Amino acid sequence: MSKKTDLSRRRFMGAAAGTLLGASALSSLNLNAAPVKNQPKIDPQAFSSNLLETDVLVIGGGMAGLFAAVKAHDAGARVLIVSKGRLGSSGLTPFAKGIFSYDPATANMSIDEFVAKVSESSLGSSNPVFTRQLAEYSKARVEELKSWGFFDSALYNNSFMRPIEARGIPLHERIMITHLLKEQGRVVGASGFSLDDNRILHFRAKTVVLCTGSGGFKSSGFPLCDLTHDGTVMAYKIGAKVTGKEWNDGHPASAVNSGSCYDNWHGQVEEKPNITSVDIHHDLGVDMNYTAYVLGPSSQGMGPPGGPAGKGPGERSDGPPSMEQVSGGPYVPEAFRRAGGPPPMPPQQSGFLAGLFGDKKPSGPPGMQGPKVGGSSAGMAIHKSEGLVPVDETGLSTVPGLYAAGDALGSYMSGGIYTQIGSSLAGSAVQGAIAGEAAAKASQKAKAVELPASKLAAVEEEILAPLQRERGYSPAWVTQVLQSVMIPNFVLYIKKERLMQAALAYVEELREHHVPMLLADDRHKLRLAHETENMIITAEMKMRASLMRKESRCSHYRLDYPEVDDVNWRAWINIWQDEKGQMQLEKQPFGTWPV
Amino acid sequence: MPIHEISGCIGCEACVKSCPTDVIQMDRERNKAYIAYVEDCQICHLCRLYCPVGAISITPEKSIPVMVSWR
Repeated sequence: MSKKTDLSRRRFMGAAAGTLLGASALSSLNLNAAPVKNQPKIDPQAFSSNLLETDVLVIGGGMAGLFAAVKAHDAGARVLIVSKGRLGSSGLTPFAKGIFSYDPATANMSIDEFVAKVSESSLGSSNPVFTRQLAEYSKARVEELKSWGFFDSALYNNSFMRPIEARGIPLHERIMITHLLKEQGRVVGASGFSLDDNRILHFRAKTVVLCTGSGGFKSSGFPLCDLTHDGTVMAYKIGAKVTGKEWNDGHPASAVNSGSCYDNWHGQVEEKPNITSVDIHHDLGVDMNYTAYVLGPSSQGMGPPGGPAGKGPGERSDGPPSMEQVSGGPYVPEAFRRAGGPPPMPPQQSGFLAGLFGDKKPSGPPGMQGPKVGGSSAGMAIHKSEGLVPVDETGLSTVPGLYAAGDALGSYMSGGIYTQIGSSLAGSAVQGAIAGEAAAKASQKAKAVELPASKLAAVEEEILAPLQRERGYSPAWVTQVLQSVMIPNFVLYIKKERLMQAALAYVEELREHHVPMLLADDRHKLRLAHETENMIITAEMKMRASLMRKESRCSHYRLDYPEVDDVNWRAWINIWQDEKGQMQLEKQPFGTWPV
Repeated sequence: MPIHEISGCIGCEACVKSCPTDVIQMDRERNKAYIAYVEDCQICHLCRLYCPVGAISITPEKSIPVMVSWR
């Protein structure tokens, strides 16, 4: 028995001694038995460490990362992509099948009208700068994708590889980035480890574009179990402001085979992508949670959502034709109400490409048929509403040199609600391109900063810590506890002060006591350990932001503050870590940039 | 079972790379992929779709049964 183990045992005995309960608990622990020690299958001392250098580092291999890398390269910078998964086969990108294109020749409204209508649906919570960007540039990005063969296959890796290979952009896949590096007040690189061999990689860069998506709590039935808010949390840790944590995606899963993403989406992943056109809605998801809360889940499913079939994960879907109406619940603006009967059938997508590539067989998201259950997308906010706070239209964060795009950027392209089918994938392409180009230009003015060896050694220590610990908690168990605390309908969706305070107390306990004791015995578990930490910090943000917003608006619904409060809450909530490591929150009025 | 079986693997590693949740690993000695962490399979089918020889079979149930609020 090591000295360390012996010491912790003595401490435990000291704390428990003197009470009958303590004595009886101790006798059942069989303290004479040797403790079960974590015995890693890999040697944490055997990890090699490499340093790679570039001008622009793109983190993430989805739609935003693809365009960030391509446009940064085309603007003259040396670029490198690093991704936890494979290009076009990780995050939400591979499952998103609709991409929005605003075509001025055929659109049924002007860009000004489009921006105004999105703002109306989002109750003012959208940022018109990013809504406009989506409309202005989506068609150009879609045309580029077409030229790379994106619309020719249901699988995106081949078409994504074409522009990357043509430009000779170095690509490092299956590397989990865990740390952003900051020196002299700006981001100077990132560090992580390989999932395939015992390697730690450090990247030195002049600018970084985070394209890491958002995340959830690894719930069953939604294809985001690899998305754990990694980018948001590592940026938060170096001082970046993040936003949007109170908004919630309320997407259901089918009650039958509810753990199967494939079956929930009726095999939609096998379809080729298609193009969507202007069709603005106010489809919440949380309204279904409200109905289920009031009436209980029913054989008709969770209750009345509305709107056309979504074409990607996280997009609103049709409800069953027979809907139960309940009084109260989230506010829906007049122009977007569908009183009484079932929602209208989705309009046929028009256009040459849709006709050419559209799939005739029945498909689509859960809710198209059969009963469904909630919580499958728990922990995920609304597309483009959570992530780093932008200081300008390029997606630059509050940390100099650090940009974000796609679901990693809190752009509020459509506010605290998802308003336009296909706009998430298009928004990632548009924002990725703009951030990549801006990061390339900024890198030309930035000096390369040396990464201090002591800093890299400390980072390596933190990366490998779960392998080094002898005793602690498995990431799977801690994740399960977190899911039990956060996912219930009465915590994450139908919010109220006392239950959120209770959940927050749990989450703080996990952060303070369990994060420092997460265990790993191989690289897969090492990944899970870091992902679990990121989910716990996100959970704390979600509870604190939800407690702070004492009103209901869009996908944030509080039973104790059910009304929209335009006097006090025409504002976003930003979250950051102060110098003492404390989580701080502030309001930022709608329509402003951070001060 | 989610990802159920890999049969007829040619060792190309497409499934290992395309799995978002790192469920599949390579047996370097046999040069074949194997199911390493079935409990983390999100049943998204990307591995099956990327496999060039149709070696992967998948069933719709999670390895740990999912408890739902109502059925």
